[in-house]
Amino acid sequence: MAASMRLLVRQLARLSHRKVTSTVSGVSCRSACCWRTSSGRCFSDAAEDRSTHFGFETVSEAEKAKRVYKVFENVAQKYDVMNDAMSLGIHRLWKDVLLHVMHPQPGARLLDVAGGTGDIAVRFLDYVRYQLERQKRRDTPSGQGSSWQDISDDRRRESSAVVCDINKEMLKMGKQKADRMGVVSGLSWVVGDAEELPFDDDQFDIYTIAFGIRNVTRMDQALQEALRVLKPGGRFMCLEFSKVTNPVLARLYDAYSFQVIPVLGEVIAGDWKSYQYLVESIRKFPNQQEFKGMMEDAGFYCVQHHDLTGGVVALHSGFKL
Amino acid sequence: MFRNVVSRLVTETFRFDRHVKRAAFRPSLTSARVPVRSLTDAKDEVQPPFDSSLLDFLVCPLSKKPLRYDANTNELINEELGIAYPIIDGIPNMIPQEARLLQKDTDASNPPAQ
Repeated sequence: MAASMRLLVRQLARLSHRKVTSTVSGVSCRSACCWRTSSGRCFSDAAEDRSTHFGFETVSEAEKAKRVYKVFENVAQKYDVMNDAMSLGIHRLWKDVLLHVMHPQPGARLLDVAGGTGDIAVRFLDYVRYQLERQKRRDTPSGQGSSWQDISDDRRRESSAVVCDINKEMLKMGKQKADRMGVVSGLSWVVGDAEELPFDDDQFDIYTIAFGIRNVTRMDQALQEALRVLKPGGRFMCLEFSKVTNPVLARLYDAYSFQVIPVLGEVIAGDWKSYQYLVESIRKFPNQQEFKGMMEDAGFYCVQHHDLTGGVVALHSGFKL
Repeated sequence: MFRNVVSRLVTETFRFDRHVKRAAFRPSLTSARVPVRSLTDAKDEVQPPFDSSLLDFLVCPLSKKPLRYDANTNELINEELGIAYPIIDGIPNMIPQEARLLQKDTDASNPPAQ
């Protein structure tokens, strides 16, 4: 409830050209930076007055963006290794489930935001190519050449995936990995901000954000941008760490998160703090129902969520209609 | 001493024009066993080509208007706002704060709006 109220207030603040003072948004935390005049407030520095969370710390919004950038810049090199170590390889299954629920058809266009090292985009391309091959094998059982219909269909149905991330380092690692795996055609890489996507309206069939939305400073803005770039009928899918419902599992999960993960971070990546931020940010993310509410506020329909691994990860899905 | 000999060799045999792109010197220096650092600090990597099919749906994040690809400077230009987004390693950088203002014609990145 409090989250949606804050959301409403923020939307009002934006509509009135940010002339609303910080007291309305209930913020008391201000950074040490100097005040700007009211004319300059149109664009930016409301971000310095509003506070948000960075893990368990309270920071200004501008500060959060910078610090999150720093975290991912530090962990980019060892990101994939750490994912395997922390989740014991289960993150691959979560991502596979995302693809199976998505069930993309050949010719679909995917936008993977906060895509980082490109796991989802690569899986997407493999999936549609496999589907296309299966279809071809089914249609030409005798092994004859493709019919005219098939040839014309192929030219139209070229699937493509765009990986968008705010962090150059993560994208660089992803591009290198994809090049090594030989996945090049149909895959594009763009440095962009989820809150201000550099894409035209109504462009993509599927928008995914896997384990990225909790790092975005203004989630409501990211959701609105997602709605904008999706085609009508397009699907928004979000994989994110969420609330564990079972109390026993919750206790084990907490112990694992706070005792084991930062240690792994220190040992493997040499960075305790980044992984401390990671587990704290998971705790600050809204639970399944709250996030569903945020999606509905942004304008998505048929919002559903599936819990994976007992609620450790939730898959949210919504449509732009 | 050897470095001086090589550098003199290069400057005498080729017209050294400072405005020529440094990468052009790469093939001419391959014969020298010692890399002539005093002349050039060019990197070996060739910039991967930019995929212009991206321009079908890539727009300026601020104005949401289409962009123009400039092959000379390897940037994406928004004429209306007068800003240019750099392309590094074939990956366009569409963060407004990293864009370059065109009117001032400086290399420093200036945020046109935040």
